[in-house]
Amino acid sequence: MLEVQSLSKTFGIGASAYHALRAVDVTIAEGEFFTLLGPSGCGKTTLLRLIAGFEQPTAGRLVLDERDIAAIPPNRRPVNTVFQNYALFPHLSVAQNVGFGLEAQRRPATEVKARVAEMLDLVQMGHLRDRRSSELSGGQQQRVALARALAPKPRILLLDEPLSALDLKLRKDMQTELKRLQQETGLTFIFVTHDQDEALTMSDRIAVMEGGRLQQVATPRTLYDDPANRFVAGFIGDTNFLQGEARGGSVTLAGLPPAPLAGANARSGPVTVLVRPEHVVIGHSVPQALQVEGRVERLVFSGTDTHVHLRLGQGETLVARTQNSLHSGTALEQGAAVNAFLPLEALRLLPDEAAHG
Amino acid sequence: MADRRFSVRHLPGVSGIALITFVVLYTPVLILVIYAFNAGPVIGRWEGFSLRWFTAALENAAFRNAARNSLIVASVAGLVATLCATLAALATTRGRRFRGEGGIYLVLNQPLLVPEIVLAVALMILLAQIKQATGYHGLGWLIIAHSTFCIPFAYMPIRARLEGMDLTLETAAMDLYASRFYTFRRVTLPLMAPGVLAGFMLAFVISLDNVVVSTFVKSPGQETLPTYLMGELRRNLSSEIYAISALLLFASVAVVAASWLITRRKP
Ligand SMILES: Nc1ncnc2c1ncn2[C@@H]1O[C@H](COP(=O)(O)OP(=O)(O)OP(=O)(O)O)[C@@H](O)[C@H]1O
Ligand SMILES: [Mg+2]
Repeated sequence: MLEVQSLSKTFGIGASAYHALRAVDVTIAEGEFFTLLGPSGCGKTTLLRLIAGFEQPTAGRLVLDERDIAAIPPNRRPVNTVFQNYALFPHLSVAQNVGFGLEAQRRPATEVKARVAEMLDLVQMGHLRDRRSSELSGGQQQRVALARALAPKPRILLLDEPLSALDLKLRKDMQTELKRLQQETGLTFIFVTHDQDEALTMSDRIAVMEGGRLQQVATPRTLYDDPANRFVAGFIGDTNFLQGEARGGSVTLAGLPPAPLAGANARSGPVTVLVRPEHVVIGHSVPQALQVEGRVERLVFSGTDTHVHLRLGQGETLVARTQNSLHSGTALEQGAAVNAFLPLEALRLLPDEAAHG
Repeated sequence: MADRRFSVRHLPGVSGIALITFVVLYTPVLILVIYAFNAGPVIGRWEGFSLRWFTAALENAAFRNAARNSLIVASVAGLVATLCATLAALATTRGRRFRGEGGIYLVLNQPLLVPEIVLAVALMILLAQIKQATGYHGLGWLIIAHSTFCIPFAYMPIRARLEGMDLTLETAAMDLYASRFYTFRRVTLPLMAPGVLAGFMLAFVISLDNVVVSTFVKSPGQETLPTYLMGELRRNLSSEIYAISALLLFASVAVVAASWLITRRKP
């Protein structure tokens, strides 16, 4: 179990100081596939480097198995890293790369040999064990980097955008493989990505980061269904933001009858309501839903779905996603007036941003 | 036509100038090498192919002595210079900036800042005193003098090599439980080795053909190959000198070519 306690990192001093991490608090459980997700520059790599020991925290604590590890140098932390550019040693063979960590620890040669063979089998690279690492394809380098980091049996494996250099097809394969490896070894993975699909499909839990802060830490499902704030809602998946007014336990969206929404009791005044495009129903009425009128402004075809952009009476836009199945009814046309239904179940009241800083 | 990019080669006359430059640079050297293999003693009159001047040179004790001195000085000075240059290159490419970093550049650029003849005279005056005081007149003084001006030449390829190296490799080694020393031995050193070797060879060649500093620093009776050649030239212009020059040339070319091949090799 790794506890990150109000961890802060500031680069530089005085006026030029840059706060890369601001009081990050999170506990990562044993055997968890934990993902750090966020836009470029939000501090993902910085957090990883702090855990690996390449950087020293400005404030806060890192507690691994009830022990503060902040003072332990990187070469004595039971944590290994898969680097974004793999950082394989070009002058060593595949097997020598994989054995490097064990040899640096002065483990007996027989143990090193056995462990290297085991790791190479695990990543299916046994047949290339004597190849120079500079003579491997991207996907093969990726596997070797993984085997090299796993060989010394770290307590935690850190992966900094390990798949971003691969092409789409290979990336999908490696996602599956990584997940399999993680489940087989039962190891704790801390995985960095800025690809939300990758994060959603692979992770047990995701920490969404922005500006050096954790915005929300939750399971993929919760992040998607109950985003903690506007940033998370906008960053994960597509979404519609609708402005409304909370009063007396219900929310009124412009021009519509008041609707009882979860969480509305505690609120009054202007609020933001969230609805995912796939929950908006067009063309047929559904029970327990708000009905809005709009005009089809644009139709965007994307293979399995069509994105319908509606202009509502009040000038707001609403995007709906309709499936392109054979029995999806009459086709919509640009400029047509339609009724859209927003199921009450699917409406989420965003928490008051001001109260959360 | 629009897609034909500008190239200096397409300017009129450029290939002509290149050819003339090439001829001017290499013709004298070529003539020297050819006449080193001349059977006759007179320069300018070809009397057939022979290795007699090479044999004569190799049997000449004075030449052998000068050659031995040159090889010792170039090897040891090359090693010392390479060691200093390696440390300087590591200090200037690894780790944070530090106090006195400017000092390193002052050391490295000394041969550019100080004219060689000034250095030679200064060394002669200083060493004359020290030689008298210590009573030591061996090759050590030449080695020290050569080491100093060889450092920058050794430094250049080493620094280039270190700068081309990925710093995350060293981070990765540390991540994999390697100590600083183990990281240096298993990662940094093997990766920088071709640069170090190239640096040594460059320093070796620079030392091998130095005349000015050697002339002023050497003790009486001591000769290196270039100073021996200078002395012989003043006495008589024999084909043996051509042969000796050719040998020096072959040695230099061999070392430079080897160093070029080493640096060209990918990491
Ligand atoms: N050594 C450093 N000195 C100064 N600023 C730094 C340093 N390292 C990182 N930063 C700054 O800290 C911020 C966070 O950097 P970090 O590398 O953690 O971002 P990231 O989330 O990994 O981004 P990316 O997705 O682009 O890799 C950036 O604005 C970066 O400029
Ligand atoms: Mg990063």
